[in-house]
This record gives sequence, C-alpha cells and structure tokens, in this order.
Amino acid sequence: MYSKRIASGIIAAFIISAGLHAQEFKIGKYEVQAHGFGTQGYIKTNDNNWLTMQTSGSGSGVFTDAGFNLSSQFTNKFRVAAQVYSRKLGALGDWHPQLDWGIADYKVKPWLGFRGGKVKTVLGLYNDVQDLDFANTYALLPQSVYPIDMRDAMIAHEGGDIYGRAKLPRNLGAIAYDAYGGRRSDSMSSGYPYELKSSIAAYLTHYGGPVYGGDLRWNTPVKNLKLGMSRQNEQITAAGTYQGAPYAESSRHDWTNQYYGQYTANRWHAESEYKRYYRDQIVMSGTPAAFDVDQDIRGWYVGGGFTVNKWLEGGSYFSHYRDFFGGTLAGIITYADAATKDLAKVVTAKFTLNRFTTVKVEGHFMDGAPNEFYPAGFYAAENPQGLAPTTNAFVVRTGLSF
Amino acid sequence: MKKFLSVLLLAASASIFVVQAKAQVIVIANPSVKASEVSKNDLKDVFTGASTSLGGANVVPILLKAGTAHEEFLQAYIGKNDTAYRAGWRSLVFSGQGTMPKSLDTDSAVVEFVAHNAGAVGYIGRATLHEGVKVLTIK
Repeated sequence: MYSKRIASGIIAAFIISAGLHAQEFKIGKYEVQAHGFGTQGYIKTNDNNWLTMQTSGSGSGVFTDAGFNLSSQFTNKFRVAAQVYSRKLGALGDWHPQLDWGIADYKVKPWLGFRGGKVKTVLGLYNDVQDLDFANTYALLPQSVYPIDMRDAMIAHEGGDIYGRAKLPRNLGAIAYDAYGGRRSDSMSSGYPYELKSSIAAYLTHYGGPVYGGDLRWNTPVKNLKLGMSRQNEQITAAGTYQGAPYAESSRHDWTNQYYGQYTANRWHAESEYKRYYRDQIVMSGTPAAFDVDQDIRGWYVGGGFTVNKWLEGGSYFSHYRDFFGGTLAGIITYADAATKDLAKVVTAKFTLNRFTTVKVEGHFMDGAPNEFYPAGFYAAENPQGLAPTTNAFVVRTGLSF
Repeated sequence: MKKFLSVLLLAASASIFVVQAKAQVIVIANPSVKASEVSKNDLKDVFTGASTSLGGANVVPILLKAGTAHEEFLQAYIGKNDTAYRAGWRSLVFSGQGTMPKSLDTDSAVVEFVAHNAGAVGYIGRATLHEGVKVLTIK
C-alpha cells in the first residue's frame, strides 16, 4: 500500500514541479519574491518505532513539512523577509503553522550587518538549513547532531544578530562571524514536551528562555576547506502541570559547543561535526520529587557524498550519540554515568529529477536505542513493549522547492 | 593506426572547442563599480552570496535564466551545475540570509539591466553588444 503511495507521491511531485517557479510581484515600487518548499517522507523500521511514528509493521508516512516565504530587498543594504513553517512528524508538529523566522536585515558593510526579529540560529554546518531537503545529501541529517524530533529546540531565537565576513591578510582566507542574543521559545508539540507528556504525564505550557551565542567559521587558505565552531548558552525555564500540581524546570547551567569542518573538491564533499550539549537543570522543582539533572550529551559524525552526474548523488555517514546522565534526588545520587549510546551507519542515494524536485532513498543501521529522560528518537509511548537493541530503517523522502 | 589518429584528431578538436567555449563568456559591471580586475575567488563569492562587495563597493549579481553563457559561467567560475547552484541560493533564501538574485532571459536584457543599475554585475556571451557597461578582467 505504502509503495503505491510513495510512487504516486514522487510522480505527483514531478508533475507539480514542472509548473513551479519562484514568483515575483510588486508592492508599490518594491519587488517581493515568494518561495516555498515541502517534503513528504516514509520510514519503515524492522523493529523499534522511531521518531514518534509507527514505523514498524507497514511503516509510516506521517512525515511531512512545508515552508513558504516572502522577501523584499528594499535597498542594496536593507532587506525584510519572513517564513511560515508547518510540519507533521508522527506525534509531533500537529500541523501548527508557526512563524519560522521573520527578520529585518541591514548590512552596513560586508564585515558588519545587523539582523533582528525571529532569526534562524547559526549553529554548526546545518542547524539553520536543516529543513532544506534539496540542499542536503541526506534524507535525515545525522541524528546525533541534528535530531529531527528536537528541531524546534534550537532552530531560531527572537532577538538580534550581528554578523559579517572579512578577508584575512596574507592570503589566510576569510572569516565569517555571527553573534546573537535573544529568547528561545519551544513549540509545545516538539520532542521534549512530548517526552514529558508521554512518559510521566507532565504537561508543559511553556519551555524556553534567554539564549546567547555565536558562530565563527574560517574559509581556510586550503581551497574549499571550511572550519568552524559555535557556542550557545541558555537559561531555560519550563512551566506546566504534573498530577494536578504546578510543574517547573529551570536551568542552572546549560550550554552547547559545536565544532565542524567541511571539504569540497569537484564532485566530492566530506564533513564532520562534534556537538556537546551540557544540561544542568532542576527538574520538577517545587515538588517532593525535585531533582538535579546533570546531563552531558555528546554526538559526532563523519560523512560525505559523491555527485555521480546531475541526476544522482551518493552519500554515507557514520554517526555516534552518547548521553551521560547523572542526577541527585534530595542530595542522593540516583543516576550516575548511566550512559546510553547509538551508533548509526547510513547510506543514501539522492536523485535530482529537475531543478525543483529531489527523491532520496536511505538505509539506516542503528546499534543502540537511547531513551534516558531526554528525547533521542526512540520514545517509550511508541515502544510500550520496550526497546530492541538494534534498529534498521528504510527512508524515502521527496522534496519540492521553488 | 588510422582509427587511433582519428580518435586523437577528434579529441584535439573537442579540446579546442572547449577552450574556445570557455572564452565565450565575459563578466560585465555597471560603470559605478570601481574594480576593473577581480579574482576568480572574489567573483565566486559574489555570485554564491558569500560576499556582496567587489573592491570594497557593494555589488548585486545578475543571473541568466539558462543558456550557453550561463552554463559556461557556472562551469568556469562557480564549479557547480545549474541545479546545485540554485539550490545554494535557495538555502540562503529559506534560512533568511539572502534574496535570490534577479534572473533575466537574454544576454541583452542583462546588459540593459547592468548598464542602468549601480553596483550590478552580470555575465553574457562575448558576441553580445555591451555598450554602457564595463568588462571586468578575471585574474
């Protein structure tokens, strides 16, 4: 049944794309551009249900997203743009349309620009472009660094950025920087609220708080070699209810570091990233069960791709995720070094049907199924029988963009 | 032997054709652009959205929608095919970091636009008349 749906989806996408073009129109004397994208995916696993979908059995196609944006370049230096985004990923998203980002951007000089509003957060190679299926080799980016169920957590901030790019003297390449500050406000239909709701029946009404950080990337003198690092600090508070009583969480010390490198050469590209998220929070504060979560999540991957011709690109990555979890309840250590891990080996084929349409076919071979009080793809609610130690997944994803 | 020589001749002709073809695209700019000579890297940065300046002045890239000059320009200076090139621009558009450059239908439309808009930089086939614009030398 699903194979017919996939085939129909691909054919429909191909036909629709034939009529797609970016639209331009005028409001007064200003030109406005309209662009959009959408994807439809299908995942079948051999055992564990994955990403809040019922992926075992006949698989699941509840894996759809879409975005639409308008932008206008008022002057060479000043630009205004906004994007609406909606998704449904298993139990997440629920098709709630949200302002993905909306900005006013003033570029004083190539080395100094200001961007304010709701701004996509630059973090590593792909955080700000993770939804753009057409631009990435993989149907699912390495989940150890870019978990799709936690997309909402770091995708954007409400605040402002200072950014720029400058050439370095003595042919040392160029650097690009982005420094930001603002607030993070998570959707209540994203991974962490769902984890709390489905595992301990805690219902959040708010999750977010101040964030600040930056990204520095260096286009090195070695042609097409890029190196970079990102940092984010945050002060999270959460509110909700638990068994009829108020539920709260608050950060003591939360930060993320990410280091990355990418090399491209003719038809090849190779990249690697390392991400460390340190979470020190008081969870269930104000209740007798309050405890201090001390969590150290480390993920990395090595991957690459080869463009065979204009229709086909092959790719692969090896991804590793490890969650060191510790905690104290009333001063007593309750969980210490309860490390969970996930190794994933992935192979993918990306078919570019035309300028607007891509189809990706991917195999995931995962060893480990972490589920330790923080979302990592596998949720207790969809796996009431417990988790098998390994999971193989077959992923197909079709994308349209114009 | 004859067959070998024929193949050799064909290969030589093909390579001459490629060299000639590469020379068929020129980069033009509005006279307000101070630079007369730009490096291949700087040109690539402007046409991929990584940079908005040439020689310290703000510039705006203008594209051709398709055609020989477009394909040659991408091959010679960007190193990507049209699909990958436009995907790069759409990444900037969908992440809020840029606006898609204007794409025009013909070489003469590019000349017309570049001639009348300060900071505009484009590319055309060498045979196209290009009055009112300056030709940039690529180092």
